[in-house]
Order: sequence, then C-alpha cells, then structure tokens
Amino acid sequence: MTTGAAAPPKRLPFAEAVRQRTLANGARLFVLENRFNPTLALSGSLQAGRLYAPADRRLVASLAAGELMKGTARRTKLQLAEDLERRAASLAFSSDASDPVGVDVSGAALSRDTDLLLDALVEVLRSPAFPADELDKEKKRLVGSIRQQQEQTSIRAFEAAMRRIYPRAHPLHRLTGAERIERVEAMDRAALEAFYTQRYGAASLSLVVVGDVDAERVLDRLEAGFGSWKAGPAPAIPVPGVPAASPGADLVRMPEKANADVVLAMPSTLTRTDPDFLPCSLANSALGQSSLTSRLGVRVRDTEGLTYGIHSSFSATHLAGPFAVTLTVKPEMADAAQASTLDEIRKYVSGGMTAKELAEEKSSRIGRFKVDLGSNAGIAQALDAAIYYGFGLSYLDEFPGKVAAVTKEQADAAFSSRVRPDAFTVVRAGTFS
Amino acid sequence: MAPAGFELLREKSGFREFRLKANGLRVLLLQNRVAPVATFAVVYHVGSRNEAVGYTGSTHLLEHLMFKGTPEFDRAKGTAVAAVLEAIGARFNATTWFDRTNYYETIPSDALETALAIESSRMRRALLRDADRVPEMTVVRNEFERGENSPFQVLYKQTFATAFREHPYHHPTIGWRSDIEGVATERLREFYDTFYYPNNATAMLIGDFEEEAALAAIERHFGAIPASPRPIPEVYTAEPPQEGERRFVVRRAGEVAWCGLSWRTVEARHADTPALAVLGNILGGGITSRLHQALVEKSLALSVTVVPWQLRDPALFSVFAPVRPGVEASEVEAVIRQEIARLAAESVTEAECEKARTQIEAEVIFDRDSTDQIAASLSEAIAVADWEWYADYPEAIRRVAPADVQRVVLAYLHDDALTVGTYLPRSAPAATEGEGELQDGEEAAS
Repeated sequence: MTTGAAAPPKRLPFAEAVRQRTLANGARLFVLENRFNPTLALSGSLQAGRLYAPADRRLVASLAAGELMKGTARRTKLQLAEDLERRAASLAFSSDASDPVGVDVSGAALSRDTDLLLDALVEVLRSPAFPADELDKEKKRLVGSIRQQQEQTSIRAFEAAMRRIYPRAHPLHRLTGAERIERVEAMDRAALEAFYTQRYGAASLSLVVVGDVDAERVLDRLEAGFGSWKAGPAPAIPVPGVPAASPGADLVRMPEKANADVVLAMPSTLTRTDPDFLPCSLANSALGQSSLTSRLGVRVRDTEGLTYGIHSSFSATHLAGPFAVTLTVKPEMADAAQASTLDEIRKYVSGGMTAKELAEEKSSRIGRFKVDLGSNAGIAQALDAAIYYGFGLSYLDEFPGKVAAVTKEQADAAFSSRVRPDAFTVVRAGTFS
Repeated sequence: MAPAGFELLREKSGFREFRLKANGLRVLLLQNRVAPVATFAVVYHVGSRNEAVGYTGSTHLLEHLMFKGTPEFDRAKGTAVAAVLEAIGARFNATTWFDRTNYYETIPSDALETALAIESSRMRRALLRDADRVPEMTVVRNEFERGENSPFQVLYKQTFATAFREHPYHHPTIGWRSDIEGVATERLREFYDTFYYPNNATAMLIGDFEEEAALAAIERHFGAIPASPRPIPEVYTAEPPQEGERRFVVRRAGEVAWCGLSWRTVEARHADTPALAVLGNILGGGITSRLHQALVEKSLALSVTVVPWQLRDPALFSVFAPVRPGVEASEVEAVIRQEIARLAAESVTEAECEKARTQIEAEVIFDRDSTDQIAASLSEAIAVADWEWYADYPEAIRRVAPADVQRVVLAYLHDDALTVGTYLPRSAPAATEGEGELQDGEEAAS
C-alpha cells in the first residue's frame, strides 16, 4: 500500500552520512547530523564493566560508573546537577550485570546546549572526584534499594537462577541480597578510585552524537576534550568459560505475594557477535518475544489464560549469557503454566519454525528496525551498538539484507543447537503453600 | 483547505484538526518527518471514570478483548490484530487510564493502510466472544496480581480510593479483583455499544505522511461507520470538598516502607494547572529539587516521586517516597510537610522557577524527537482537555511566576485537603538471607 504516505525523505547510507574521527589515544568519535528537531542524543561506551573487576568485588564496576556524576575536580555533584538541570540536559553512566563488559554513556540536551553537554562529559570522564561523603550516601541508598529489589518476585526468581547456573567467580553469577549488602558496606573510596584509574581511558571509549548539531564542531570539541586523555588499557575481552547446564528446580518462598514469577533458564553459548546470533534471534522471536503473538504467548497467555506476561530471550552480549523464559502467574496456576511452557519449547526445538513464522519474523524485524530509527536517541543507540560490537557503521545499512538472507534451515539448526529443554534450571518465586 | 468529506476545525503549531462529516470523528494531523515512520492512534473518551461498582475494570478488560477478534482480524483465521501488526514491525499496544482508552501503532510510513484497517475494524465490529473473555479474564487478573506485588501501586490505588469517595476516580483502572472476575461478557458489550463510536473518538496521525492521501484513506476506512444512535453519557458525579485530613495504613510483608501525601487539586483545564506543574518540578524534578535534597540527600528516602496529576476532573497533587530502612515513615512525612510549609511561607526564587519552566518546556521539545512520544503526550492531553491545551502548554508554563507557585501551595496544599498513606512492611523478615527454601534435585523437565 502507498496511499497514506509520501515518499520518505531519501537518506544517505549511514556509512556515508556519519562523520567519524579516531584520536591518537584510540577514542572513536561518531556524529550524525539530523536537523529535524533542535535536540541531540549522546550514546557511548567504554570497557569498564564487572568483567574487569575482581571476582570478589564485581560491584566496584557499577558503583564506579554510578559515582562518576557525584562530583569532579572542578564541580561538586550539586553544581554539576544544577548546571545540567537548569538547561534540561542530562548525562548518565551505568553498568550492570546484564552486560558485564561495558559502561553505558547516555545523554540528551537541546541543541543550543551542545557544548554544555559535551564539556560535562569530558570533565566527568576525565576528572571524577569520587567524594567520600557522596559514596557514604550512595552506600546507604544502595542497601535500601537492594532490600527493595529483594521484595520483587521477578528479581528474586531471576537472580536465584543466575546463582545456580553461573559459578561464583563468573561475572554473570548473582550474589544473594544479603551478600550484596555486605559487599556494599565494605566498599570504600580507594577501591573506586583504583578501579577507575586502572580501567578508564580513551582506548576503549566510543561516543556517538546524533541530532541538530554541526558534526565537525562536535568532533573538534570532543577531540579538544579527550585528545590528551590517557589511553588506558587496550580493548580486550577475556571471555570466561560457559558452564555446563545445571538442571533442577529451586523455590524462593516470599510471603503475601499475589503474583509469582517463574524463570526457566540455561547457560547459552550464544554471543552477540556469533554468526548464529541473527538466526537464533529470529527463531527466538517466533517462540517467545511477544506475549501476544509468539508461540508461547498464543498458547500460555492467549489460549490458556495462565499468564499476563511470558517472554523468552537470549542474553547475548560480548559474553554468552543465559537463554531464559520468564512468566508471571497466579501461584495456583504455576504448575499448569510451567508444563505448557515446557511443552511448547520442546515442540519448537524438535519441529522448528514454520516458513510463515520465519517470513513474519523477518518482516517484523526489518519494520521494527526502521521504526526504532525514528528518533535521535534510537539512531544513536543503534549506531552505538554497531560500533560496540565491532560491526561497523555499514551494519545499519546492511541489516535488512542480513535479516532477509536467513533461511529456515539456518534458524532451526542454530536454535536447536543452542537450546536444550532438558537443561533448564527452573525457579519460582512467590507465595506457595 | 479540507477534502470534501472533512471540515477543517482548527490549526495551530503544526497541528491540523478535522472533523469527518459523515460521523463526527475528529482527526488530528501533525507532520513530523524525522524518519519514514508514522504513529496512528485512536483515543476513545472512555476510561475507568465511566465505570461503577460491579463493572470496575471493564474499560480495561474490553481493551484486552479488542485484540481478540473482528470479522476481518481474527485469530481463528490467522489474522489476529497483534500478528498482523507484528509482521509489519509495528510498535503497538493499547492502554486504559482514568479518562481514556487509546490504541496506537507506530509503523513504517508505507504501512499506514494496515493500521487504519485494524482500527476501523475494531471501532464497531469487535466480536467480544465469551470464549475469548474467559481466558482473558485470568490474564487480566494476573496483571492485577502483578500490581498488587508492587508497594507503590498498592499505595497509589489506596490513595485514590481514600481521597475520592464519590467520584469514580475512587476505583483503579485495573478494577477491583471481584469485578474483574465477575463481570459478564454482555456487560462488556453494553459498554462497547455505549462508548465505541466515531463521535466519541479522536484519531491522530503523526509523522511521515502526505495530508491529502492520508485523509482520503482515513475517510475510506472510517467514513461508513455510523455515529452513536444515542448521546454519549456524561459523568455527572462530582467529589465534594474534603473537610479534613484522611489517613490510611497498609501492612504487608515486605522490606521497605513507603510514604505518600496527596492533596486534592483541580482539573487539567484549570488555570492553576501550569503553576502546579512548575511546583511539581521544583519539588521533585531532578537532584537539585527540594524534596530530593531534603529526603534523598539526607538519606531519609531512597527516592522521591512528585506527581501533579492532570486528569479531566479535579485530581491530586502527590508525593510518594520509599523510606530508607531504619528511618521511620513518620520522619519522611514530617520533612515533606516542612518543605510544603516553607513553600507556603516564602516564595521560590526566580532562578528556581526558571529551571522548572525550562525543564517542562524541554520535555515538549524532546517529545518531538519521536512520533510515538508525541502521540502519547497528545493522547493524554486529548483525554483530559484537548490538543490545543497541549499546543498551548509551553506558553502557559512560560507565564508561571514565583508568586503563582506560592499561591497554588496556599490554595491547595493544606491539611484539610490532604490524604496521607503509609505502606508498612508487616515485620522485618530476614528475607535477604538466602532463598527461603531450596529444593535441589527436583527435575525441571518433569
């Protein structure tokens, strides 16, 4: 159909439209001008996640990232916040267990405040102060927020599964709430500073800016800011081994919860850069990406009414994370929901997807890709991911073709070699009599 | 100029509002060619506000059934609404709230026809089969149960139930559990046949499209749907003034207490709404805000959320905070009251006011980054006031002066209009210790 739509504005291929510069210290900078709206979005990363922290102190990575905004050599936390907030600009750094490698950088501003945002980014990354009083406050807040998370059935079920699947030294292992609280309380400023000094530097830094900006000016300003930063450790990802599956069942008993969560998880060998990623990802979509339309959604939610939400996913980053199916249930319906879920997964692994399912998943993925590129932030995140995983800028131009090329044989073979229904650890969290 | 089937009603700030002459459907267009993407949405002026005891949650349950089938889009034929939308890569859903129900899809702009076909089909031709309601009821009940797991949701539902005794904002959009379980399919159909008509809806198209072709397509899909045979019923129940502070406590197993203070305020269209929004930002917008400084920075609360509710009828101004373990909820309440008293006693500074105005104005500009964000904001505006209210909002915010902020604090944030809710963990179980129970060896695949 074409009736309602004008020919969309012709875009240059991303590989041509994005301006880039690599600095002598290794920092990689990318800018895409998109002048439809007077805003800009910033997205970026560097390799300073929990993978690089000592196994008994993984927490230092997320804490260091989170404390970056708590003050610099030049400005206190409050001054920094005041300067950004009064212009409605935002800047954040985060790192969590879902991606053990990276620290995410994200920011947004009205384009009139481009320099304000970029200068704050340089200042914060290059000269964080990690003030002791701010760390003390954050430790208190974190202890409370860990306790708050421990009230959630979804978090308890997932963490228990990760604890069972991944051994203690593995970066995907999750400690219990009580253990995490102990680690938080033992954390000190020196540990943060040491981790920062050791891990942060330009060599693994990449930054993407998209929006109503002058690309050369942005590149110049970032180069002026980061050009003299130390390189720091060269990008390297020491990949931990994937443990053998540990099938079995755990139950996390929690009082007075109307809803229970069920997690079925197994260690997967799939990484984001694996050639099997796209076939596996399309196969997974048909199985369980959507609570409404996937096989699991149609059976367990739509037909049997046993859950509000059911999803399956590969957690694939630079590291191979779990393949997991999560669902929420009325506790009395957990047995039935779990049985239906496992039954569907078994059928799917043995029978594969239909040609129709694959065709729909492909058109869905290609359409969603276009839709996700509908905002400055969406474009910045897509470019950032392509760079982070080493795919290059042309990946965005080539993506629809790559999706279209996946065959049913590839998808079935990839999925059935990565998912074993008898390998699941099954954890329920909630109120069970 | 409008095509023959339409009447151009108003235009402002890039928006153009039309009326489909055949049936009164309002159509709102905004071109925004950031990307080859468009969002089509239909907002029905029916929400939990239009429900009463026995059928609370009906609007929401009906919204779920609207995905189940029409003659044209039916699971049984392999053409379920969600499957068709999924196949074109749409980002889609539907949501129900106090004053409205909205259905939306963000699509590649060359797939507009699909979105129009779906929305016109379910406007009057939903099948609403009992065989669909039965399994969907348990789905919705699980959605309710998930909400009951959240202390924040429990607190805010109880807040509305306490602050509103007569007006239907009393009950939550998800409904009461026994109503979700008990309502009959026929009652849902009656609801559908009362409210789902073109003259009780606004369709909006935002993004990459060509106006003439889009209007022609909208007319082709919606023009034959008749207007409602009877006028759409009005809600006439009004909440009388509150005459004294109300308090409630919820005790459940848990780890963290919550404290909530909510004052009765005004409807979104009221002239004081912009000043209340600025006040909300001054109290809760970011690290520099007054309550973040007084609660989070002082290690009394884990976070703080301020909500100047903007609804069609007079609503609330709320502050919610999870209390840091080891601190009494009463201490957090006292600090919130002190901060309100300070605002009543002395005017905020111009700089503080300017920061709040800038942040609220910037939100509107950031909205324009993506078509679905504009559609979401616009849906709320249409539900509680109208699109022009949204278009004029930045200017209304710009006019708010420090004296206005102080005036609304004095006018609304007084004890007689206050509801204080506390969520208290029943005991402090040693729940962070381990798993509770471990049943090793049980076979997952059994």
